[in-house]
Amino acid sequence: MRLSFIRPISCCSVSSPATSLKLQKPLFLRPPTFKTTISDLKKWHLWAKSLTSSVGSTFLELDNGPDSELLLRELNWLVEDAIQTPKSFLQQPQKNYNDNSSVSIRASLEELYMLWKQRVEERRPFQYVVGCEHWRDLVLSVQEGVLIPRPETELIVDLVDDAIKENEELREGLWADLGTGSGALAIGIARILGSSGRVVATDLSPVATAVASYNVQRYELEEKVHVKQGSWFEPLRDDEGQFVGLVSNPPYIPSKDIGGLQAEVGRHEPRLALDGGASGKNDLIHLCDGAVSMLKPGGFFAFETNGDEQSKFLVHYIETKKQGNFSKVKMVPDFAGIKRFITGFRGR
Amino acid sequence: MEIVVQSSVGQYSKPFYSLARNRIMASVPITRVAAMDRRREGISQLTSHSFFPAIRRIRAMHRSITSSPTGDTVSFATPEVGVSNTETREWAMQDFYTLRKDVETVLERVQEIRAAAGLKQLQEDLAALEAAAADSSLWDDRAKAQETLQALTDCKDKLKLLCDFKTQADDAETIIKLTEEMDSIDSVFLQEAFGIIKELNKALDRFELTQLLSGPYDKEGAVITITAGAGGTDAQDWADMLLRMYVRWAEKQRYKTKVVEKSVGEEAGIKSATVEIDGRYAYGYLSGEKGTHRIVRQSPFNSKGLRQTSFTGIEVMPLLPEDSTNVEIPEEDLDISFTRAGGKGGQNVNKVETAVRITHIPTGVAVRCTEERSQLANKIKALSRLKAKLLVIAEEQRASEIKQIRGDTVKAEWGQQIRNYVFHPYKLVKDVRTAYETSDITSVMDGELDPFIKAYLKHKYSLAANPSGFT
Repeated sequence: MRLSFIRPISCCSVSSPATSLKLQKPLFLRPPTFKTTISDLKKWHLWAKSLTSSVGSTFLELDNGPDSELLLRELNWLVEDAIQTPKSFLQQPQKNYNDNSSVSIRASLEELYMLWKQRVEERRPFQYVVGCEHWRDLVLSVQEGVLIPRPETELIVDLVDDAIKENEELREGLWADLGTGSGALAIGIARILGSSGRVVATDLSPVATAVASYNVQRYELEEKVHVKQGSWFEPLRDDEGQFVGLVSNPPYIPSKDIGGLQAEVGRHEPRLALDGGASGKNDLIHLCDGAVSMLKPGGFFAFETNGDEQSKFLVHYIETKKQGNFSKVKMVPDFAGIKRFITGFRGR
Repeated sequence: MEIVVQSSVGQYSKPFYSLARNRIMASVPITRVAAMDRRREGISQLTSHSFFPAIRRIRAMHRSITSSPTGDTVSFATPEVGVSNTETREWAMQDFYTLRKDVETVLERVQEIRAAAGLKQLQEDLAALEAAAADSSLWDDRAKAQETLQALTDCKDKLKLLCDFKTQADDAETIIKLTEEMDSIDSVFLQEAFGIIKELNKALDRFELTQLLSGPYDKEGAVITITAGAGGTDAQDWADMLLRMYVRWAEKQRYKTKVVEKSVGEEAGIKSATVEIDGRYAYGYLSGEKGTHRIVRQSPFNSKGLRQTSFTGIEVMPLLPEDSTNVEIPEEDLDISFTRAGGKGGQNVNKVETAVRITHIPTGVAVRCTEERSQLANKIKALSRLKAKLLVIAEEQRASEIKQIRGDTVKAEWGQQIRNYVFHPYKLVKDVRTAYETSDITSVMDGELDPFIKAYLKHKYSLAANPSGFT
C-alpha cells in the first residue's frame, strides 16, 4: 500500500507524452506464436489474391492509386513478414490445398484476413498494415500518425554522403533532421557519420518522436541520435550556430491539393506531415530562414520540396532574400527527373 | 558343410544376417575354397584396395576357412554382403564375356581421359599451388589467397578423381582376372564388377562434361530471367511452363532454386520471372539455354483451339557474389530509371514502386530489378546483375574489356531462336543449333534437359576447336 504513494512521484520525472502512446511492433518482429495449417493459409492467400485481382486498375483511374499488380507484390511481402518460413510457403506447388501440416505465423489468421481487407477496402497503406517500411538498407517501424518515408527521400542520404566526402569535417559534426517522422533521415545519416558525429532529430508529433526513438534503438544509435519533441528549430536553441548540417522533408503539399491525394495518403497519413499551407511553402521558408543562424560557416543543408515550382522559388528566395549567406545553392532532381531537392552551404 | 537355401515364405521370419549368410554360402561352391586357398598369395597382393568389398570378403572367407577347419559358417555373416548383393542374378558365361569386354573398354577410356587431362601437368600445377599456399605472404592479398586455395582444392579434387578412376578400373580388371583363373562363376563377385563399371561410366560421363565447362563463370550459380514474348495470355502461359521446366531441372540436379521475381499475367501465366539457381556449374550447364524458345500448340485460351505459335525469351547470367564483380562502369554510361515516374511523386504518392532499371548506354544492355523492397536495394542488385551480364557478353565476344563490347551484336545474339517445342500436330522438341531432338515432350517439360544441354556443350566445344563450323 505504501508503494502506491511513491509511484506517482517517480513517474512524474518522465513527463514525455510518448509514454502514454502505444507503440505498435512491426509484424515481422512479432514472435511466431500463432499456428495454422498450410491448407487454411492457402485458403487465405487465395482469397487475398482474388480480392486483389478484382481491383484491376480501378484505384489507378480513381486517384492514381496502386493497381492489382502492385498490390499482389505487397501481398507477397505481407506473406514474407507474417509467416516464419515464407519462402517455402510461396514456392510450394499450388496443389497442396489439403496439406494439414502446421505453420507458425506472427498474427492470427483472423487478423491476416482483417489486415488485407483493410488494405484493399479501406486503402490502408501497406506500410501501416505490416508496421514497417523498407527504406534504403533500413527496415523502419511505422504506424498511423507517422509519415511513411518515401523512396525519393532516400536520395537525401546520398546527397549528405557526397557533401561529407567533399569536406570530411562534416563527418564529425552536429547534424539536425527537422520533422524526422519515423527517424529515417536521422538514422540514415547517423550511419555514415564518424565516431563523434551526432544527429538531433526533432518532430512536433509525439507519435513521431516515440516511433523515431524506437527505430533509433533498433539500430543501436542512441549514442548518436537524440530525438527531441518540438516545432522545427525550437528544441535546438541551445546549439544555435553549431550545426554542420541540416536536412528536412517538411510538409510541402499545398492545402488545396490534400483532398485530391491518393486515398492511402490523404485518408491515412498525418496531415501534419503533409500540409504545407496555402502554397505548400510555409515550412520550407521557415527552414531556409532558420538555417542562417543554425548552421556553422561551411555547413550543408538539403531540403525536399514538392518539385520544380517550389525548388525554383526557394533557390530564388535564398539568392535574393538571404543574399551572401549561402553558397553553391542548387536544385537536385529525383529519379523521375523532378527537381525535388534544394541543397547549399552556409557561406564562410 | 550343408547349405540350406530356404524358400521365400519361411525367410521373412529370419533375421537379416542369416539371410545374407545363406546367400553368400550358396554362391561359394566348396571346390572354390580350395582354389582360393591355392591363390592365397595372389590375393594378399591386393590388400592395398582395402575399400573394395568383394576382395575384403574373399579375405574374410579365407581367414575363417583357414582358422576353422571344421567349416564353421558364423564368421561369414557380414551384414554388408546382404546389402550389396540384393540385385544378384544368375550369371552365365555369356554375361562374363560381355562384362570382360566392358571392362576392357572402360580401361581404355580411363587411360584416354587420364592422358587428355594432362596428369603430369596437373601434378606440376599441384606442386606449384602447394608452394604458393605455404608461402608466408599468402594472406597479404585476401582475394588472391582465396583464389589460390580454391585452385588448389580444384586441382587436388581433379587428381583424386583421376586416381579413383584408375583404382576402380583396376578393381574391375582384378575381378575379371580372378574369375578367369577360378573354375566357376561367382555371381556376387561379377555383380560387384558390373556395379563398378556402371558407376565408373557415369562418373566418366560427368567428368567429360565438366571438362566442357571451362569458361571463367561456368562453375558459378545462374540467374535465369524468363520474359514472355508478345502474344498475350498464350505467351505468358508458355513463359510459366518454361519457368516450371527450369525449376524442375534444377531440383533434379539438387541445386537450390529461388524465384526472386515474378510478375503474373492478367489471365494466366507470367509476364516475367527471375530464378536464382545456386550450385556448382549451374551457369555452365544453363548458359546455352539463353535465347528465344518457341512453342507451337493448340491454344488452350482460344475457343476455336487454333494452332498458335508463341515465344519466350530466356536470359542466363552467372550468379556472382556481389563483391566479385569488381568492374567499374563510368556513371555517365548508366541510365538509371525508376518506375516511380509521372505524377507529383514525393509525399503525394505512396506506392511500393521500388523497381529499378539500369541501361548500359554504350551497349544497350539493360537489367530490371523489382524484388527488393527499397529502391537502394534494387539499385545495388540491378547494378551487380548488369555487371555480371556485361562480363558474360565481353567473354562471349572475346573482348578483354567492357569498353570493347560491340553493342550492335548484343541484341541479335541474345534474341536468337534456339529451340522449338511442337505440341501439335505432332510432338517434337528440337534444338535449332545442335539438331538434337526428342518426341518425349512431357519429360522435357518435366525438366529432362540433360541431353539438350550435353548436345549443346559438345557442339560449342567442337565449334571452339574448329571455328570454321565444319566438324
